Amino acid sequence: MSEEFLGQLAGLLNGAVWTLALCSSAGIAGTAFGFVLGLGQTSSRAILRWPAVVYVTVVRGVPVLLLIFFVYFGVPLLFGVNLDPFLTGFLSLALVGAAYTGEIFRGAIEAVPRGQTEAAHALGLGYADRLFRVIMPQALRIAVPAGTGFLINLVKDSSLIGIIGFVELTRAAKILSNLTLDPLGAFLMAAAIYFVISFVISRTGNAIERRLTPKLGKRARIQESSLTPTGH
Amino acid sequence: MNLYFGDILPFMGEMLTALGMSFGITVASFLIGGVFSVAVYAAKASPVRALSAVASGYIGLFRNTPLLVQIYLIYFGLPVFGINLDVLQASLIALSLNNAAYCAEIIRGGFSSVSKGLVEAGEALGLDAWTIFTRVSLIPALRAVYPSLVNQFVHLFLTSSIASIIGLPELMHAILEINSQTYRSIEVLAIGALLYFASGFLISFVARVAERFLFRWAVSV
Repeated sequence: MSEEFLGQLAGLLNGAVWTLALCSSAGIAGTAFGFVLGLGQTSSRAILRWPAVVYVTVVRGVPVLLLIFFVYFGVPLLFGVNLDPFLTGFLSLALVGAAYTGEIFRGAIEAVPRGQTEAAHALGLGYADRLFRVIMPQALRIAVPAGTGFLINLVKDSSLIGIIGFVELTRAAKILSNLTLDPLGAFLMAAAIYFVISFVISRTGNAIERRLTPKLGKRARIQESSLTPTGH
Repeated sequence: MNLYFGDILPFMGEMLTALGMSFGITVASFLIGGVFSVAVYAAKASPVRALSAVASGYIGLFRNTPLLVQIYLIYFGLPVFGINLDVLQASLIALSLNNAAYCAEIIRGGFSSVSKGLVEAGEALGLDAWTIFTRVSLIPALRAVYPSLVNQFVHLFLTSSIASIIGLPELMHAILEINSQTYRSIEVLAIGALLYFASGFLISFVARVAERFLFRWAVSV
């Protein structure tokens, strides 16, 4: 391996670090907001349900690129603050991600059999106990595969943040291709790094799913699979 | 701040034309990618190890890398081999290849959902493999994948906006152009968002109505 190649790779890896910083911060903020949206969507009160449903439906029905530009142009105009490129990227990915995780949480909460809530009610558990001790432990396990898909999509969507001037992996590859005049090499290396990131996320997701699945005997597994609603 | 949509009005024709381009490239790449995805699925399901590995690799690569990088690779990368594509060709190829990877996975899910008993019944009746494929498993499989294919179409329609980055004159491109001419950012982005949302909604609605006519007979599997 030549020194030149290593230098180029270092430039891309630097971009990849920023991609990861962007995705982990936006992923955490988006999941937190998405959790609230998921609770809102499954709420029995219309005043909580409708804003959440409208937010999730609208954001999921519009291109991510358009939403990024909306934050990029809109936030300075609406609130009079100039965000730096990282914050713009973080905010737009978190707002988009919240809609997707909101939908995942809704699906997972609804997939927990109703009898569980009823039983918790019958035991006299309060709202917080019903949510965190009965519903969520079961819902989280159901949400893991979709959550893995969400993170992979987040990493892919973060490539669009380069468009508004933040140097993440794709932008770093674009800059490199202008320097070396070898776009094929630069973008292939970037694609390989993206692939590795996705691969690690999906492997980690599988491992977490296995950890969360209680180890049951064969008979219990069969019974459980006939009770658990399938689908995603 | 005041919102004023008057400045955008003269550009509405331009936006609708661009929306037509968005829709057109979505239909074209959905059809091309759809046909290709059948080949990818067939390769993946084939007993030939090498063929199935190539198909798996293709699906994995296109689903786990950003569409923007795929577009850049085709638009900026292929000229290295002397293949110079214009913006429309590059967008069409990138979107088709991307769509094929997603559709291949959808189709695989559809065929694996067809009950084994149906296929075995076909075999018991002495039907050959091709007849079993076309007359027995195809319709239930199509019915199973139809909602996912509709979702994928809408998703492709929304992601086709990324082609604006290399300059394809579709809706997102028109939005950015009008924004730089009028400086009415919020207004033009809001109208653009509305056009994207309404089109996606309309597509899903029409598809749901069509579903009732396409799959009228009941198949209990």
